[in-house]
Amino acid sequence: MKNIRSGITFGIIGGLLTFLFGGWSVTVIGCLMGVGLGMGMAGRFERKDPLKIALAVLPSALTAAVLLVGLSLYQNNFVQEAIGKRPAAENTVLYGNLIGFLGTVLFTTLLAALRGLPEKQEQTARMILLAALIVAFPFVDKLTALRWTAQIIFALIFVILGLGLNIVVGYAGLLDLGYAAFFAIGAYTTGILSSPQHGIFMNFWLVIWIAAAMAALWGFMLGAPTLPLRGDYLAIVTLGFGEIVPVLFRNLIDVTIKEPFTCWILPGLIRLFGAETTMACITFVEHEDLTAGEKGISPIGRPVIPFINYEFQSSNPIPWYFLIIMIILLSVFIIRRLRDSRLGRAWMAIREDELAAAQMGINPVTTKLAAFAMGATFSGFAGAFYAAYIAGIFPSVFDFSASIIILCVVILGGIGNINGVIVGGLVIMTADRLFLPALKDFLSSLLTHTVLPSISDPVVQRAVSDNANPILYRFLFFGLTLVIMMAVRPEGLIPNAQVRAELHSNETPPIEDETPKSKKAKKG
Amino acid sequence: MENTKKKFNLRRFAIASAVLYIVLLIGPIVGLDIPVIVESVKANPLQLVQFFIIGISNGAIIAIIALGYTMVYGIIELINFAHGDVYMVGVFTSLTVLSVTGTLESKDPGKIVFGLILALVIAIVVCAVLNATIERLAYKRLRNAPRLAPLISAIGMSFIIENVGLMWAAQAWLVPSFGTTGGASQKVFPDMLGVLFTSMGWDVNLLASSGLALRLTIKDLLVIILAVTLMTGLYLFVQRTRLGKAMRATAQNRDAAKMLGIDIDWVITATFLIGGGLAGAAGLMAGLYNNTAWWFMGFRAGLQSFTAAVLGGIGNITGAMLGGFLIGLLASFSDGYLNARWTNALVFATLVLILLFRPTGLLGEQTGQKA
Repeated sequence: MKNIRSGITFGIIGGLLTFLFGGWSVTVIGCLMGVGLGMGMAGRFERKDPLKIALAVLPSALTAAVLLVGLSLYQNNFVQEAIGKRPAAENTVLYGNLIGFLGTVLFTTLLAALRGLPEKQEQTARMILLAALIVAFPFVDKLTALRWTAQIIFALIFVILGLGLNIVVGYAGLLDLGYAAFFAIGAYTTGILSSPQHGIFMNFWLVIWIAAAMAALWGFMLGAPTLPLRGDYLAIVTLGFGEIVPVLFRNLIDVTIKEPFTCWILPGLIRLFGAETTMACITFVEHEDLTAGEKGISPIGRPVIPFINYEFQSSNPIPWYFLIIMIILLSVFIIRRLRDSRLGRAWMAIREDELAAAQMGINPVTTKLAAFAMGATFSGFAGAFYAAYIAGIFPSVFDFSASIIILCVVILGGIGNINGVIVGGLVIMTADRLFLPALKDFLSSLLTHTVLPSISDPVVQRAVSDNANPILYRFLFFGLTLVIMMAVRPEGLIPNAQVRAELHSNETPPIEDETPKSKKAKKG
Repeated sequence: MENTKKKFNLRRFAIASAVLYIVLLIGPIVGLDIPVIVESVKANPLQLVQFFIIGISNGAIIAIIALGYTMVYGIIELINFAHGDVYMVGVFTSLTVLSVTGTLESKDPGKIVFGLILALVIAIVVCAVLNATIERLAYKRLRNAPRLAPLISAIGMSFIIENVGLMWAAQAWLVPSFGTTGGASQKVFPDMLGVLFTSMGWDVNLLASSGLALRLTIKDLLVIILAVTLMTGLYLFVQRTRLGKAMRATAQNRDAAKMLGIDIDWVITATFLIGGGLAGAAGLMAGLYNNTAWWFMGFRAGLQSFTAAVLGGIGNITGAMLGGFLIGLLASFSDGYLNARWTNALVFATLVLILLFRPTGLLGEQTGQKA
């Protein structure tokens, strides 16, 4: 029964998504939905014969697929008209829905059936399947002309940022509200070192490491003064740093550094005794435009693959997609190794109880500084990639709301859990970058073609059309995410067992409930 | 004995001159160009007094908002991040009331006074209820959760209210003066006090007849008087009344207060009501004084007031007032002599320095360092 219910939920959500995107989207949504549904349901089964599991999930897979295709066909035949678009060509509809249907059923049963294999094989098989999907995605996207890849890349940038922040917030338990500062430092390092702004054009493959190192250095330097602080005071100080850094980048447009002794002190003394002076004033920099202020640094050099001399183009997102996937894989590898290392265990000990950890011989100073520096490193990677991908950086990108969006990613996904953060980043950023704009287009065309003509009062008409723009409610959605998650599920969608236990420490411990979940979380 | 004292002095002197040297060297980067500032003060010393007046008036508004932070922190040890945005709602509420009642177009002094008082009352009520609602929705169930959970929830609330402000500023049908440029731009809060005093035949500038190049307006006086009245009232309320005593007891030890029969939930709600009401009053005052309404103004005001609360010693009502005036002066001098673009960074730097070197603040009682 529970399985059927999941099937219905997924089917309706997927079907409603086709309302927004239309066309071939039913195919891609169907396959992705199948993967999600299969992985979600797999955990509910005992390890037994794969075929039996496949048969057991088949009804819910079929339910989801039927709902998806039904809603998609409804969209094509009725909704398209209401929003003033022509229904898609018959071939598109037939093949798109057919593949979507089969994809849902196939991926759901396949991923659920993997549960029947021994644990090692199950993981390998799932990895291979996911890898194949990740590799295939941009090409399918190109074939179906959905143009999602460019937006998915933004989501993946925030996945890296979330992974970095997860080290600070999730592992070491230090709430950092100014994390976007390190993102900005990484991006501006890249911008300054590979743009006409200062006439320096360094290779991207070198700059990305310099950016990461620079971010780590600043993570260390800004982390050092916050060491004596705890809890919300730490959060506020990091927020302060997070605000000061963009202000600096915004305003370092007229930098003058003069040696004060020769410029003011000596001449001042001489003038005091009534003599005239024309001393040479030692000037280091005068009226130097370091960061180009509000208008931003652009263009920024793109990466070039050596030997074959292929330069990345902004018109073709596929190479960028694979580059960021590689950076994520590298980051996940490093972070997993870090988490299981002595340092990682020290972070968690500090998070649980700093005094006790210090008593056990952990040095809180170096451990916390390492967390700040390591966390910042990954945002340095993300910043460098971002700067090169956009080919321009503007200070407004890195303000407080960016820090909070990254925090949303970590909190929605699950504090302290790598898989959770990846899911959180994908959900939040695809919602922000794909879903909201599509919803905006959908609503505005629905309004102009169906709703507005039936409203006679021009004032109401104008008020409705002005306010029916979901993009204006972005902050509301982020805010709601934080408030609702904190109230309902503070451990996130895919929780880390320890964090979960800690967050629910004041409730009576649900012992039976805890065991299967914690097994699942350990894999992350 | 004398020798060590001399050495000590020498060392202090060395440190001081090193700091001075560094400030002279890299200060100009952030606008802290001391020779230039000295020159401009020498050229126009009266300007110093002018910035002082502006600083005190803005400081009065900051102090009132800071009271809300400090009271809430004193009682439930939570940085009510949404408080600055409640103040923003106060600005928008009063502007909307003034617009709906037709006060904005009116030239009749009686009608303006009535409109202003109505706006004040409605802004206070709306903000008080809003603040208490925020507590019920977002903080109440997290009272026993780990410390960071309510803070994150508060940040979420702040985002939600900022978005409400953004949408509010786009409703031209409600307040025609918002215009059709969308909600993101800064809106004008009409100078109703100026209109009022002109229509009554008074000169707004009290020093106009003295011949000095200074402006001390009735607005300045009014803001300061209203602020001081509110602060005194709050101080007396907390010190003298039964509810005030219950608040102080709850701040000291929540469990013990509960055992002695104090209704904790009501005390906390009352604290949020009072804090929100003060923010609403501050909203009308700031709108009338600075003549802007902007959906994002709560963020900056909130951080300045939070800094003020921390500077005075968080949890300490007198401290919040002192801190408010000091931060107002700092911001005003920074606007005047450095550059307005550095003011935010300077206030933040102050906050960081206080938290690092004197987390108890100037008059602090609470440490606020419990994890």
